[in-house]
Amino acid sequence: MSLKELSSLEKALGLKKPNKYSTQGDKKVPVLQSVNGPALVGLVTIATHLVQEAKRPELLGGSAEHKAVVQQWLEYRVTKVDGCHNEDIKTILKDLNSYLEDKVYLAGNQFTLADTLMYYGIHHVIVDLAVQEKEKYMNMTRWFNHVQHYPGIRHHLPPVVVLRNRVYTSGHH
Amino acid sequence: MISVMTKDAVQGAAEEADQAQSKKGLKKQQKEAEKAAKKAEKQAKLAADSQSTDEDDFAKDRYGVPPMVQSQQKLDRVLVRVQELTPEKADQLIWVRARIHTSRAKGKQCFLVLRQQQFNVQALVAVGERASKQMVKFAANINKESIVDVEAMVRKVEQKIESCSQQDVELHIEKIFVISQAEPRLPLQLEDCVRPEGEGDEDGRATVNQDTRLDNRVIDLRTTTSQAIFRLQSGVCQLFRDTLTNKGFVEIQTPKIISAASEGGANVFTVSYFKTSAYLAQSPQLYKQIAEDSNTHRHLTEFVGLDIELAFNYHYHEVIESITDTMVQIFKGLRDKFQTEIQTVGKQYPSEPFKFLEPTLRLEYREGVAMLREAGVEMGDEEDLSTPNEKLLGRLVKEKYDTDFYVLDKYPLAVRPFYTMPDPNDKKYSNSYDMFMRGEEILSGAQRIHDAQLLTERAMHHNIDLEKIKSYIDSFRYGAPPHGGGGIGLERVCMLYLGLHNVRQVSMFPRDPKRLTP
Repeated sequence: MSLKELSSLEKALGLKKPNKYSTQGDKKVPVLQSVNGPALVGLVTIATHLVQEAKRPELLGGSAEHKAVVQQWLEYRVTKVDGCHNEDIKTILKDLNSYLEDKVYLAGNQFTLADTLMYYGIHHVIVDLAVQEKEKYMNMTRWFNHVQHYPGIRHHLPPVVVLRNRVYTSGHH
Repeated sequence: MISVMTKDAVQGAAEEADQAQSKKGLKKQQKEAEKAAKKAEKQAKLAADSQSTDEDDFAKDRYGVPPMVQSQQKLDRVLVRVQELTPEKADQLIWVRARIHTSRAKGKQCFLVLRQQQFNVQALVAVGERASKQMVKFAANINKESIVDVEAMVRKVEQKIESCSQQDVELHIEKIFVISQAEPRLPLQLEDCVRPEGEGDEDGRATVNQDTRLDNRVIDLRTTTSQAIFRLQSGVCQLFRDTLTNKGFVEIQTPKIISAASEGGANVFTVSYFKTSAYLAQSPQLYKQIAEDSNTHRHLTEFVGLDIELAFNYHYHEVIESITDTMVQIFKGLRDKFQTEIQTVGKQYPSEPFKFLEPTLRLEYREGVAMLREAGVEMGDEEDLSTPNEKLLGRLVKEKYDTDFYVLDKYPLAVRPFYTMPDPNDKKYSNSYDMFMRGEEILSGAQRIHDAQLLTERAMHHNIDLEKIKSYIDSFRYGAPPHGGGGIGLERVCMLYLGLHNVRQVSMFPRDPKRLTP
């Protein structure tokens, strides 16, 4: 899955030449054999490398503080979201929902690599959510909808329908 | 003590522990002895008390347990209803028959809450020239839920009694007799049954789950919530009947024991009938699948059906209009005449007031499917609505049109029974409809095929054994007017009108695959 994700990311970053990736181990960790140096291993490492190659460093955060927040969410993505069980996903959605209550993007007001990778990582969950659940995690859904419409991000993933109006207002039934 | 002796027989390493044990045991024994002594003392005192009661109780004719009412005498006594205890009755000496809802003794007085159906009033027995110490004690010791006859003076109160339905008066009891004694222990407490969901968890108080309540349904039915639900349900039947009578309908009774299972024997109740077997009718209309083994919040194996069937002139929408108008009359009647009941139920199960439009909103099936698709649901044109999609559509309709009641018309022919009239304009659809309350189906109906030829064709298309439905088809051979109708589940209407979650709450003695008693 992360291989598709990396090629989507390449396109989103405007990289013309697609790289070839392999995987290693049971968990199919992506590996990029770079031309001039050692192999790069791991989704976040490769993604960061691609961002630098595309000369879009702002996607890794502006200030030192922003950089740290971006790294934090990238780590959250690979440690918490990937390979998480069905019950835990509700906790993740709840976490994201309350965190995003006063934010447009994961790192505040600026679109970063964290948004892209979180969107890719969580898409398979959101696509299966019922209308009621999408409304329950309203802030998360708003962020998700925003990112899926962000220019050049969606690529291989099907769009998820998000209603503009709330239909479960009474929180009952 | 016994445990200590046996342990003494055990030797070795365990001895030390045993000694500790026996010490504990001794202490325990001592305590128990003290307890017993205290108890004996108390009993002696009680006996002495009751003796003195018999001797010098000036009020001994004013209370007690009279002989069982076996219709020995016809008293002229007027028993006032609790509901009628208002300030207009102030300073009158009246008789009341009611239950002891709660009692609380405090020194020389005892406060009782007397309950009659959903109404209650505070009553007071206080030591004075009318009541003796013994009488107050007697009143305080009457078991909860016992039925008493009380003679009392109605007195206005200065501060409203918030916990009672009769807030402006209280009763000063002069006589109290137990007509029917309840057992001291109730299997469940009424207060626990009416506690709003979730509230009990917060302050650690008990709530009673649905199954326990149904097991003790006779007591559960005494709660204000249950009282209100079944009054409202009776209102639905009454309004249904009155409205249709005014429209010129005729009430009929159909046999419930029938010779052939309309569904070919699957999923119906079989009864032995002399030397052969018979079946329980599932509906006055053919093909209603209620004997299915479904354990859900909205299915029962026995329910009360309100069925309507009527001939129309040219278009089956005449039927839809007639039914929706009947429903609207019921909703209006409930809103106007049962506000108290609605609010009572709302205290325990909060929900938004039921909303409807006049005339009733009618959507076509394909419009409904389009709304669902717009909300991200993937489904085929002729696919039946799943329960979650039904509910979601209800939500979308409510959001768009602000109504909890609507008709979904023109269902795909493929998902309806064989006797459903096909749509003249599009073979894929039919002249059939469902009605929804709060997103759940309450009625399923259609224009029926009144032509024997077409009916035979449709039955064959559905692979139905023509022999089995011969009499049904034959009944249309001698002239039958175009007609349509539908069947409403009484319990579902009540449940959804009140915004309740489980149909068992609105069925007095619910029957489902797992419950046959009480």
